[in-house]
Formats: sequence, structure tokens, C-alpha cells
Amino acid sequence: MKAPGQTFIASAVVAARFLPIWLATGVLALVAAIFAPDALQHTSWAYVLPYMTILAVAALGQMLVVMHAGIDLSTPGVISFGGNLIVGVSVGSDHKLALGLLACLGLGAGVGLANGILVGILRLNPLIVTLAVGQIVLAWSLRYSREVTNSSQVPEALSSWAAEKPLGISVIFWTGAAITLVVALLLRYTVVGRRFQAVGANPRAAWMAGLHVRTHVVFAYTAAGILYSSAAILLAGIRINIDPAFGAAYLLAPIAAVVIAGASLSGGLASATSTWMAALALTFLTQMLLILGLSTAMQFIVFGAAIIVGMMVSGDRVASLLGRVLRPIEGQARNPEMNVNTS
Amino acid sequence: MHVRKEPAARRKKGPVLGVLGVVVLAAALALAATSSGGTKVTNAANAGPTIGKGGGFGEVYKANVATLKKTLFKATLLPKNPTARNIALAGLGRADIKVNYDLALKCWKNNGCSTGTGGKLTVAYIEQFGENVYRQMSKMEFILQALTYPSVGKIIYKSAHSDLNQGIADFKAAIAQHVSLIVSYPDYGDAMLPVMREATQAGIPVATYAWGYVTGPGTNYLTVVGEDTCALGKVYAYVMNTQVKSGDIAFLGGFPGNPLSLGWQTCEKPALNPNIHVVATEPTNWDPSKVQQVVAGILAKHPDIKGWSYEYGLGMAQGAVAAYKAAGIPFNTVLTLRTDDVGMGCTFDQMNNPKLKMFYYTSGNSQIRVAFTAAMMKLKGATIPPKIVFPIELQNQRVRDSCVKGYPQEASATSLIPLSLLHRMYPG
Repeated sequence: MKAPGQTFIASAVVAARFLPIWLATGVLALVAAIFAPDALQHTSWAYVLPYMTILAVAALGQMLVVMHAGIDLSTPGVISFGGNLIVGVSVGSDHKLALGLLACLGLGAGVGLANGILVGILRLNPLIVTLAVGQIVLAWSLRYSREVTNSSQVPEALSSWAAEKPLGISVIFWTGAAITLVVALLLRYTVVGRRFQAVGANPRAAWMAGLHVRTHVVFAYTAAGILYSSAAILLAGIRINIDPAFGAAYLLAPIAAVVIAGASLSGGLASATSTWMAALALTFLTQMLLILGLSTAMQFIVFGAAIIVGMMVSGDRVASLLGRVLRPIEGQARNPEMNVNTS
Repeated sequence: MHVRKEPAARRKKGPVLGVLGVVVLAAALALAATSSGGTKVTNAANAGPTIGKGGGFGEVYKANVATLKKTLFKATLLPKNPTARNIALAGLGRADIKVNYDLALKCWKNNGCSTGTGGKLTVAYIEQFGENVYRQMSKMEFILQALTYPSVGKIIYKSAHSDLNQGIADFKAAIAQHVSLIVSYPDYGDAMLPVMREATQAGIPVATYAWGYVTGPGTNYLTVVGEDTCALGKVYAYVMNTQVKSGDIAFLGGFPGNPLSLGWQTCEKPALNPNIHVVATEPTNWDPSKVQQVVAGILAKHPDIKGWSYEYGLGMAQGAVAAYKAAGIPFNTVLTLRTDDVGMGCTFDQMNNPKLKMFYYTSGNSQIRVAFTAAMMKLKGATIPPKIVFPIELQNQRVRDSCVKGYPQEASATSLIPLSLLHRMYPG
């Protein structure tokens, strides 16, 4: 049985891992309020909220993979092909939209499954293999868009739905928030979710406890693929047209969001809500830099610097630092006699 | 340098005359387009009047008036320099030569092919970004032009998918293969200079189109074809000065540092009247989603912005319209654009907003034909001017509707690709 002090320290270390992104987002909002108040206006949010949602959904997929010490670079390929499938399968018709959406989700699951088998079963390097799979999918997407897709426009029903604003906020935002909530609850409060985290944190221990480690890895990539294709659906809705660069922006941004949200690249701990917040911070930062009127080069520099700082103050570094600070206190709490000055 | 102005009387009777003008022009263009389609059909334009005379270096310096009107708006908008004019006539005149469209389509889909003529020349179109419709149409124009030369036996196409290193490698591979000529759009500007110079030194003529200007045309590479982008910037400024008069405007561009955007932006700004302020100059990578992001950002700070200058019309139509819609701001603005994408014109028409004004230039896909012919003439010993410059005339969307019926939304109706072939490229 854990002592109360141990429980507190464990909780504090876990919280410290995810806290910085929340604080950083607050600081970002403060900076915006002082230097770029226009970034906090309705016009700015009208862009930021739907786009941060799409990044968040893609990042959630990436998070599931990172939780198993993996990485997935097939995201742009899945989003691109998914968008083209929506247009190609539905042929621009509302009646066939459901079929197009299913095809998109099926593609995501299929690509994820392939990644999962290659990484989880065949033990290939995830960085290389997912990049290769992503390139293949992207090539098929280009070919498909040229040969099969009759138009670049998504069915009217999808774009109309995406334009809706319940309570004055984009429906894309609400959808993404719901997905994030579901993922967070599943990971935290279900047996399957806890096992999923346990396998990622320590595969050897999980294997000894009788858990199917490889199955979990395959599942992580498959679920990630489904989340990427969900992002493709949301993006197609607000973009209305599928162009050749569709999804290209989602190669590194989801990884950046996951990392600055505090996820451990060695697997295990990650937070869906913090990932969502990181996606908001990154999208908002991009918009704020634009509004500040910085040159393009300067925008890249500040954005890159922000990610580096984000990595320095979140995740493993903060967790280990806090652990080092708190452990002596814990020791003192358990052995009060050590505090007695015997001299 | 001209701008087709909207007369005062037309402004008063705008809707009626505008609609009439649109109908007449659209009908004329549709007729021209219909007659130019078909794999085995001789163009109607062949029977019509021609411009130019003489020839040399394997070329005839003559083109059909209808063809020139279709691609340049006016048959007289040819380069002023006599040699450049002859090359332009020779290059554009070849658009009416019948070629095997099945082979062209196959070549387009496969990014290269053997022409089956047994010709000894290998020709290459190399670019660092080729994934949008504009570039794909240029690729087809390149293939169609190559197929008019029986001496061309092999066609190569390379896109580096926005990867500079790959783009340089593509050039080096072409040099190693001893290709006969290279046509390119240098997306990364002077970063491509070393390999372009290397090809030139290896005896391979390198021509760029769409004003793909890199330092030292005529010495570092053969020639640059296109409109003078500085003049384009000045015409943009003229439109802004007369239509916006005062207030904030913004510039959008393609990839950071690309020569096309830099060319007009550098010249538009000083030509604007003092009451017009350029509040932002942002790259968009010619990506509609990036356009949406950038426009949303600029709108957040300058919601009453009055004008936008950019190149990519369809990107503007897809990205900016979505950004305005999301922001809940009416799209009451003046647009100066370089391309005449059909989808752009159709979006404008659908919006039916009298406060939206749009002026555009030709996409200039056919300029690649002139670049190709210039390089072919060089192989036969011709002296090619370092710049082949087309004069500029912006079109007012209310006078000349770019939403031409029968064309795919992504296409440009000023392209010289036969309509039937375009439909096979972009079915539906």
C-alpha cells in the first residue's frame, strides 16, 4: 500500500509533465492581449478554433502511437488520400457522402493496420516504415485524384455541416472537443485504456503480466489511422475543395503538439486534453505571429524557438526535475528523525 | 502596358451591359474552345487569318489569330522584340498542329514517355513543385508542344514535390542523361542557378516560362519567357489606384522568395498612390489552405481591407472566400490576380456581389510552348534573346468572364490544350 506522501509525489510528477502547456497557453494569451489584441478577436478565433481542432484530432492519433514509443509519419498521406476518397467515392453527391466517409475511415484504418503490423509484428523502425508507407499512400492519392476524382469539391452536405456554428462556435470545434473527451475518458477510466497505457509505459512488465504487447501496438497505429482520417473529414468540410497540397501541413505539426503537450517519447504517459491544448497553442501562435506582422523568416524562427522552449519545459525533463526535488522531501517525511540535529 | 478600363457609362448600366458582354465573350470563347477540341479534328482556327510571316531554324513564324486571341486575349499582345515575337509566333503557332492526344495523355499520366518517332532528341520539363492544376496543365502543354517535333524521341518530366535538394538532383540527373533541352519553372529562384548554369555549360539549353526569372538570362541559361512581372506589378498598382483609391491592401505570394511573386510585389508597392497602404505581404505556397490561414490572419487585424494582389486566382477563390465566410465579413474587395482559372471566375459569378471587383491576367500555360520552341531553335543554331517578354493587359471579370462553360473548374480557358483533352485529363 502506497504512503500518502508517495501518492502525492507521483501525482505531482505526472501533473508537472502536462502542466507547462496549460501555463504556456495562458502566457500566450496574455502576450497576445498585450501585443496582438486582434488575435483574440472573433475573426481570428473563426479560423483558429476549427483548424486547431483538426490538428488536435491528428495529434491524438499521433499521441496513441507515441504512447507506445513509436512515431507515425503517414499522417499527410492518409489525410490527402482520405480527402480525395470523400470526393471520389461520393462523386460530389450528398446521397453517397456516407459511403465516401466510410471509405475515408476505412482507408485510415487500413493504413494504420499496415503500419501496426510492420512496426508491432515485424519490428521495423517506425520512423522509416511509416514515412515509407506515407509516401506510398500519398503517391496513390495523387494518382487517384488525377485519374478517378471527377471534381475537387466535397459534397454540399459536408461543407454545409462544417459551416454550422452551434452557440456561435464552429461545429468542427465541438466535434473535435467531443473526440478528445472520449479519448481522454477511454484512456483514463476504462480497463482497456489503462492496459493501453501500461503496455506503452513498460512493455516488458506488461508482457510478464500477461498482456498482448504486439496487439496493443497494432491497435495504436490502427486507431491513429482512424483519427487521421477523421481529421481528413473535418478538414474536407471546411476546405470544401481537395487540392494537391491537402493534408501536407500535418507531417510534423501533430508530433510537435504531442511532444510539447508533455508526452514521453519513450512511451507510456500522455494526456489527450493536454494534446488538445497544445494544438490550440500552436495554431494560435501561428495566427498571432501573422497578426503581429512579422516577416515570414521571423515567423519561422519564433515558431521554432517556441517549440524548443516547449520541449524544454514539459515532459520528461520537468517530471525528472520535480522528482529530484520532491524525493528528498518524501524521504524526510518518512524518516523525521533524520532532521534532528545531533550535534 | 494596358488595363482594360470599365467606362463610366458601363458602370451605370453595369449589370445589363456586363451580362451582354459576358454572354457574347463566353459564347465566342466557347465556340473557339469547342472547335479546337478533338483528337482527330483539325482546328477551325486553321482556316482563319494568321499573323506573322517567314521562318527559320525549322520554324514558321506564323500563328492563327484565333489561337493568339484565345491564349493572349488579343492577337496583338505579342513580344515587342522582333526576334522574340518570331519565337512566340512559332511556338504558339504549333498549338494548331495535330498530335496524338492518346499518347499525350499517356505521357502526361506517366510523367514522360517515348514518342515513338525514333527521334534522337530527349526533352525534359523539370520543376521543383508540380502538384497543382496550373503546373499539370503546363506539363501537358509541354508534352503537346514536344509531340509537334518528330525529332523528339523521348519526353521526361520531373517534379521535386517542393524539395529543393531533390530539384537540384533532378537537374543533375538530366545533365547526366545528356538531355537535349530543359524547360523549367525555378520555384526556388537563384537557388537553382548553379545547376541551371551547369546544364548550360554542358551545352543543354535551359529555358524558363511564367517569368521564372533567375539571375543572368542569356548567360547562365538560355532565356526567360513570360510577362514582365514588374510591369504586372505596375498594372496591379494602376488598378488599386483607380479602384481602391485609398485604404489598406495586402499582397499574397507563392513560395517565399519565388521570382514571380517578388517581381510584381517589388514594383507594385512604389507605384501605389500614397493613400494606399500595403499592410501585409505573405507567402502562401500557392496552397488554398494557406491562403485561408493568411487571409484570416490579415482580416483579424485589418477587417476593412480593401484589396488583395496575388497570382493564383483559384487559390484566392477557394481560400479567401472561405476565410471571409468564416469571419462573417462581406467579400467587398478589389482583387488583382495573375491567373484566369475557370473556378475563380465561376466563384465570382456565383457570389454575384457588385462590391467585389476582380481583374486578372492570363495564366500563361502556353508560355511553356514558347520556351520549348526557343530551346529547339537554339539547338538549330538560332540566337535567342535572353528575355521573351509578353505585354500585359489585365481583364475585368465583369467585362470578360473567366467562368467559361464546358471547362473544368481547375482549368484555365486561355490554355491551348484542346477542350476534349482537358476533359480527359480532368473527367467530369
